Amino acid sequence: MINLIKYSVSFTLIFFCFNVELSAKPFESTYEPLPSVNVLIKNANIYDGEGNEFQETDVLIQDRKIIAIGKDLPASDDFEVIDASGKWVTPGIIDIHSHMGVYPAPGVKTSSDGNEATSPVTADVWAEHSMWVQDPQYTLALSGGVTAFHVLPGSANLIGGRGVTVKNLQRNTINSMKFPDAPHSLKMACGENPKRVYGNRQQAPSTRMGNIAGYRKAWIEAEAYLNRLNEYESKSDEAKEMGYKPTRDLELDTLAGVLRGDILVHNHCYRADEMASMIDVAKEFGYKITAFHHGVEAYKIADLLADNGICGALWADWWGFKHEAYDMVQANIAIVDQARNGTGCAIVHSDDAIGIQHLNQEASKALSAGLRAGFDITKARAMNWITSNPAKAAGIYDQTGSIKVGKNADVVIWSKNPFSVYALAETVFIDGALAYNRATNFFPSSDFDVGIISPTKNRTEQ
Amino acid sequence: MIGKKIHKFLIVSFGYALIVLSPNVFSETILIKNATIYDGNKNEPYEGNILIDGPVIKRVSSSDMQGDFIINASGKIVTPGLIATDTNIGIVEIGALSVTRDDSSEIYKIGFSIFDAFNPNSTLIPWNRSNGITSALTIPQNTSSPIGGLGSYFVLDGELSITGEKDMVMTGSVGGSSNHSRSETFAVIDDLLSFAKSINQKDLDTDVDISELIDESPIAEFMELHPRDVRALFRLVNDDLPLVMKAHRASDLLKLVEMKKKYNLNMIIMGAQEAHLVKDIIAINDIPLIINPINNIPGSFDELASNIKMASILEKAGIELMFTAPRSHNFHLIRQGAGVAVAHGMSYEIAIKGLTSTPAKVFGIENRGEIKSGNYADIIIWDADPLEPSSMPEYVFINGENMNLTTRSTRLRDRYTSDPDKPNTYRD
Repeated sequence: MINLIKYSVSFTLIFFCFNVELSAKPFESTYEPLPSVNVLIKNANIYDGEGNEFQETDVLIQDRKIIAIGKDLPASDDFEVIDASGKWVTPGIIDIHSHMGVYPAPGVKTSSDGNEATSPVTADVWAEHSMWVQDPQYTLALSGGVTAFHVLPGSANLIGGRGVTVKNLQRNTINSMKFPDAPHSLKMACGENPKRVYGNRQQAPSTRMGNIAGYRKAWIEAEAYLNRLNEYESKSDEAKEMGYKPTRDLELDTLAGVLRGDILVHNHCYRADEMASMIDVAKEFGYKITAFHHGVEAYKIADLLADNGICGALWADWWGFKHEAYDMVQANIAIVDQARNGTGCAIVHSDDAIGIQHLNQEASKALSAGLRAGFDITKARAMNWITSNPAKAAGIYDQTGSIKVGKNADVVIWSKNPFSVYALAETVFIDGALAYNRATNFFPSSDFDVGIISPTKNRTEQ
Repeated sequence: MIGKKIHKFLIVSFGYALIVLSPNVFSETILIKNATIYDGNKNEPYEGNILIDGPVIKRVSSSDMQGDFIINASGKIVTPGLIATDTNIGIVEIGALSVTRDDSSEIYKIGFSIFDAFNPNSTLIPWNRSNGITSALTIPQNTSSPIGGLGSYFVLDGELSITGEKDMVMTGSVGGSSNHSRSETFAVIDDLLSFAKSINQKDLDTDVDISELIDESPIAEFMELHPRDVRALFRLVNDDLPLVMKAHRASDLLKLVEMKKKYNLNMIIMGAQEAHLVKDIIAINDIPLIINPINNIPGSFDELASNIKMASILEKAGIELMFTAPRSHNFHLIRQGAGVAVAHGMSYEIAIKGLTSTPAKVFGIENRGEIKSGNYADIIIWDADPLEPSSMPEYVFINGENMNLTTRSTRLRDRYTSDPDKPNTYRD
């Protein structure tokens, strides 16, 4: 009898998965969460990702969602109870700038797939079609509490292609990692990189003015394409049959998606004056910039960013590797956050497979620099920089990014206050399912890790 | 007069825009009171007072002392100034701007010295100093020779008259390459060292003599060595010059151990991402390591075993550890790396030593790296735990001088957070 039930459950599961695969459209997410249990996390100190801190509070997770936050929450016997006394709970960490998968480890030519540096505008390429699902770096990021990340093409091109947001659950196809209903992004890049890459080939752009002209030309084409599409769509069915359907253009599909508001613009840009110019380009063509990335000089135009509702996705302290990254201010993130009476949107990003594992420490540096600059910022607010704010910028805030009733149970339990270098992510839940447990060595291993140094062990067991 | 100066110190302790003390500070003593001292020598911290007299530490004691200026450091951690071991501080201003880079040579290989390129006005110096680095080994990029390039030691006081030691380490590297076998690399190293061993002091009298040596040595001739290269090689095998070899793969580390034994080299290995696979052999052969404990990425096929617990494993094997960070602009992040190492099992005190006294000992840097009587007063008073990256120094002393902690970065910060009514370019 018991066997029969098991059989029927697994049959249903198989059927369900199969069904999903069949019904999914090309390139759509086929993500399925891991098996989950219902969990009561008791007595945790919580940064909820909404700017709040709760002491000794419970979190109730049921059917993959957060269903309650409060003191002494009741739970029935079928809930697994985790005593989190003295520990800290945060939302799953989200990195808005990663190249994991497109620049996987080991860093070798054969899988260096992040820059289609063959033309300054390659809006037709999608990062997800470069991502190596066996990159051994995902699980390292998971050990730092990262439950979702946004992968972008590189910055060689003015318009580098589409970015993708994924769940940090390693699987063997990219569609099964894609974050359901997350919008695509468009990677654009200012400054030194495109002008160096193409200028060295004696082709446009070779200057910053060439960069701006390059974006504008691309958007002019996109406008015309969108007009042709709209004109066709507005026709009656009869007229559609009579006329020609505009030929699809992959590059312009992406740019038109931005003009329609379906695709979010993530713009690599260091210098304040260039960010201001990019805001003008966006205004000229009626699109919105979701976030400037790297923005070492964002503090110089923090009010302008706040006024335009643009996030600054920034490092805590990187500088000096390029001329446009020379004017580093450690309070950059805090200044962007505090612009216009605290209405700014600051994000701590990594752009780095080591940094992504320690975004809590990067936020800690940025916070302490802000306090030294005289701002009054709480740790609870600084937690937003690596949770809810990147969730908003990735277009997944309705699903994740904070400990909030109704949201996906993407939750990290930390050994200590996560603003300390000594804090370790002990347990990570993704959609209410245990994805990582430090104490029991429960974590995914990529195929790359299997038997690669010693045949009987996995890479990380050496 | 003294009262006025104490007042100045009080201002210092409340703000980050530090005042510069008048030059005659050298004639008077500074007493750091009631500090929690990690002196770089003892394993346990202790409560004590440090008396600075001119450029040196006059006395360290738990008993009362008198000083002209008194800094109350109760509740504060005090450490020696941190010593950076693997930087391009002073020779690279902006990474991707070749005209600001002085870390490579087209002509010299083994004997290439970066010493004359050092720029005490580099913005990397105040920034790293305000984060606790008081002196640094600056080394060149790898040259075309697997052994090659001399590093120098610099005290980061920013003075145009440089305090430091010229050409005090040799560098090199071995590992995977896109155009030749590492077996060739080891053969070249062996040939070079064997050539070096064959040289007598008297053969080095003139460049003409050395040119003859080069002509007679197939490897020296093939590599187009210059007399400077040969002199440096001679020093390497005869003067106990520290040799910092960058390598990762376990099998490469074992080969380097063989080289050390064969040529009696004063070898230090840098990177060493797979050192834990051969830890006992490294320990028995007394090879100190410079590691980046935060790097657990299998970044190349030489580093597949990269592991976040590496520092703790190596410490327990009895290996002396120092720290590196990937970018010299923020080399002070060796503190964060050391903190991560401690979070994963390394002992706190050994981590502090790895930032201070271990490099001093390994590289023969005299009278620095420890807080003890007679040493130069390179001392940091921290606002909190130095291994927390959120912490900063409240005071940095170099050669007994209270350093101004203003940086270009703090100036730009202040420019954009004050005087909002003025156009930004008219602000301070």
